[in-house]
Amino acid sequence: MTGEYPSEPVRVTSGVLTPFVAMFGLYIIAHGHYGPGGGFAGGVVLAVGALLPRLALPERIAYGAVPAFAGALSMLVGVLAFLLFGLLPLLAGGAFLDYAHVGIGEVAASRLRYLGILVVEVAVGLAVFGAMVLIFDVLAGRVR
Amino acid sequence: MIWQIDLALFVALIAAALIALWVRNLLTAVAVLAVYSLLAAVLFAGMGAVDVALVEAVLGAGVTGVLFILAVLATTRRTPERAQVRRRWTIMPLLAAFFGLMLYAGTGLPPRGDPEAPVREGVAPQYLERSLEDTETPNVVTALLADYRSQDTLGETLVIVTAALAVALILRRDEEVEL
Repeated sequence: MTGEYPSEPVRVTSGVLTPFVAMFGLYIIAHGHYGPGGGFAGGVVLAVGALLPRLALPERIAYGAVPAFAGALSMLVGVLAFLLFGLLPLLAGGAFLDYAHVGIGEVAASRLRYLGILVVEVAVGLAVFGAMVLIFDVLAGRVR
Repeated sequence: MIWQIDLALFVALIAAALIALWVRNLLTAVAVLAVYSLLAAVLFAGMGAVDVALVEAVLGAGVTGVLFILAVLATTRRTPERAQVRRRWTIMPLLAAFFGLMLYAGTGLPPRGDPEAPVREGVAPQYLERSLEDTETPNVVTALLADYRSQDTLGETLVIVTAALAVALILRRDEEVEL
């Protein structure tokens, strides 16, 4: 299933598309504030950027770009970032995940919540990206 | 949305679901399920739920198909032979009764976009009115998911991570580790 695909057009198309797909995934994560998108959808598209090379390109390139441990690592980093950033307001006397209470200089409360949403979206994106890559790698290891 | 297009999409959606159940080759079923997800995404977009439509398109019509194909290749490509006819006679009336119950419950729902619907009382109007002021975020859906209800989002993320960890722990190959 994984590894170099026998058809040249498929390999070339996958190789050319991959960076654009990954870029589009990052765009969707960052665009959640202003339109449809956010961590869940963006993380999945970003994962496609890692899965497409695994399906069509030589393993050296695919696993060189996104190694096998990247799935589990990114997943755990995403969840821990979500949890730890959620704990920050507690230190400043606010509620769990209430970013308005993290006082940074003269930054307005609405701006802090705006930044908090960005943190949440990026964390969710990392977790979803990692989960997809991890499930794919484990399943692909089962295909003979 | 124009009701003729809605109707055609719903008919195609149900047809895709039935075809996915009917075909014996599981890889064909996976392809038909991707079509089903894409039709569902178009319907969601027609209802104005663009965020849900986007997730349905990339996940349902995209990555889920790849994971299903891997699962099929790792196991078997064909559905087993049909269960005995006698069991079908017990299952079919149950399904028909459940279908009737769902149709009956559907008649009690408020019309789509009804401003008097119960779901639009309580905190919902406040979210709509204040989210831009509170969070500087024009997309109300994102403000809801990642700010007002971010504990729900944390729970969802934990569900996904737990699911992926369970899959990895059950299905990983570790020939080198002998216990």
